[in-house]
Amino acid sequence: MSLVLRRLAPYSIAIGGAIAITVAIALITSRTNVPGLSAFYLLLVLWLGARWGRGPAVTGSVAAFLLYDFFFVPPVGTLTVRGPSELFELVVLLAVALVTSQLAASLRRAQAASETLAADSRVLYELATAALRTPQVTVALSMLCDQAVRLASVSRFALVAMDFGEAAPLAGGDLTPDEVRQATWSYENGRPVGISISDGAVRLTKTHPGAETPAYLPLASGVAVMRIDTDQQEPGELRMLAALIGLADLLLDRRRVALEAERARGFEASDRLKAAILSSLSHELKSPIASLRAGLTALLVPQAGLQPEQQELLVDLDRQATRLDRLVGDMLALSRLEAGLELDKEPHGFAELVGTALHQLRSDLKGHEVGVDAPDDLPPVEVDELQVGRVLTNLLENALEWAPPTGAIAVGAVAREAFLEAWVENDGPAIAPMDLDRVFETFWTRRARGSGLGLAICKRVVEAHGGTIRAENRRRGPRFTFTLPLARVIAKR
Amino acid sequence: MSGRVLVVDDEVEMQRALRTGLRYHDFEVHAVGSGEEAVREAAAWRPDVILLDLGLPGMDGFATLRALRPATRAAVIVVSVMPGERDKVRALDLGADDYVVKPFGTEELVARIRAVLRRQADVSTGEPVVQTGDLEIDLGRRSVTVSGRPVHLTPTEYELLRYLALHAGKPVTHSTLLRQVWGEYAVGDKYNTRYVVAQIRKKLGDDPANPRFIVNEPGVGYRLVS
Repeated sequence: MSLVLRRLAPYSIAIGGAIAITVAIALITSRTNVPGLSAFYLLLVLWLGARWGRGPAVTGSVAAFLLYDFFFVPPVGTLTVRGPSELFELVVLLAVALVTSQLAASLRRAQAASETLAADSRVLYELATAALRTPQVTVALSMLCDQAVRLASVSRFALVAMDFGEAAPLAGGDLTPDEVRQATWSYENGRPVGISISDGAVRLTKTHPGAETPAYLPLASGVAVMRIDTDQQEPGELRMLAALIGLADLLLDRRRVALEAERARGFEASDRLKAAILSSLSHELKSPIASLRAGLTALLVPQAGLQPEQQELLVDLDRQATRLDRLVGDMLALSRLEAGLELDKEPHGFAELVGTALHQLRSDLKGHEVGVDAPDDLPPVEVDELQVGRVLTNLLENALEWAPPTGAIAVGAVAREAFLEAWVENDGPAIAPMDLDRVFETFWTRRARGSGLGLAICKRVVEAHGGTIRAENRRRGPRFTFTLPLARVIAKR
Repeated sequence: MSGRVLVVDDEVEMQRALRTGLRYHDFEVHAVGSGEEAVREAAAWRPDVILLDLGLPGMDGFATLRALRPATRAAVIVVSVMPGERDKVRALDLGADDYVVKPFGTEELVARIRAVLRRQADVSTGEPVVQTGDLEIDLGRRSVTVSGRPVHLTPTEYELLRYLALHAGKPVTHSTLLRQVWGEYAVGDKYNTRYVVAQIRKKLGDDPANPRFIVNEPGVGYRLVS
């Protein structure tokens, strides 16, 4: 009842106003003769249009025309319309009513829209500042989810983080296992389900499976799971939802960055620990071997007064101690490589790397013929000198082990596109075809005495440089071929 | 040739082995187990060579090296288990004359000791001609010959070779070479020294894959064979 009254009130005011102005004009014209008093009606219509819109304004203008015509236009007391000028007056009044009400209505709409926008941005601003202030991103995310379900069309809004490939519900309630699977699928394939977002606007897609199953939207580091009622959505709400999703995206990303930083700190600490353990281990293992070798070799002089067979025994023991030392060194090198190796890459000439390795092994290489085929114009390689030095010494030691006592060892290299292809070859017995790949496996060895570590280390170092290594049987004997990256900058002079 | 050798090592077994081994080679040997004792003994006994283990308890090898340098003119050979290249460079920059990696054989150690003693003797006589194989570097006349044939080097190449020759047999670090050849405020890196060494080798007819004169010390620098 009151609603009907309120609806009708503007119309009554329109008619009442027209009557009041008619009375006022009548009063004025009875005293003095003032022309153009009908303009008062215009004021009324303007006001009605601005205040209540088209209906009351049109009612007011029709009422005003009828009253004016009846009371003031001769013949007074009739409603006849004579001549175009009176018709024109009516048309002007109606036009004013329509135009002002239209203008006023769009003004009112614009004002209403800007008020919602202001409210929306206030909400977003509060959420964003709260998110920045709280150290726990999850708290801010929960606030965000609460805000989202306050929208009339959104009945559910949950956020799932994807931490290193693992789905973890963060805010807005738990998910069923099925929903977790669906969210994971959506994230991994980067494909939204039932919803799309573009240019800051959310759109529900036709494939939206209805209110029963939620829609999934993959974000940079998580998934937004939401249920939206298709009948109730308003453009303003969808805009707000899009803004909330954008904010959730940022917050999830911030959370992931924090997590990754934490994880990196953990890794760093464990790397330092590993390095410390390895260095203490190498000291503990190598110190006794050092004393052994120093003591054994101390007695290998005539002044020590030992018999030849006693000396031979000492030489044998020293050789064993050396073997033990090499084994410990290989094991430590391998565990260092496994602990994660940081390469100190610089441009190096391949010939110099070979020269260094040959110099280090010069006493072992005595009696062997070593041919090096490394042309002067070989471009430099971008490698860690010490690690690649280890590859070369290991391959040379391997060749020494298999080549006949005075056998030949060949080292060489050619440039191939972005890589240098290098090889070490000996004229020892061929490797069984089935073992060509296995020789690089850790602890795999062709001899009872080998540690099975040397070639495994080679493989790791070469692969850490982005190269490959392989074994093959050539006409002369087994050849180990590996690739190393060429230096990008040829020379800095 | 003989001399006084001070062994600084905290392992008693190592001390005993070295004392025995080096005495057979006619060296006088004293052995101590800490850096503090080493500094005292270096001043009191005046050894010719100090074998300094880097892994000492308490005052570590580097601190000992720093304390030793003003106290003695003895050659210092740093001894260490698996030293990182950075440790080697640091020891050399702190004034060590050479380094030996543990474990080592007595013969190898004796060779190193004799080499530093020989170098000390050469420096004290001020011999202006350094000879290694058929390479001859006449520091007085600034001339370089291989088998009597003169070799023309640029000033930079000569400076680098001269510095290596002045320290023949001793590893010289990249940073020292940069500083000595290009000046105190040299801007550059190992690539500069590598490039110049490659040029010198080419002119000397020294094969980098089988060097006769200039040997690469991986991760550290270069050494002129003496």
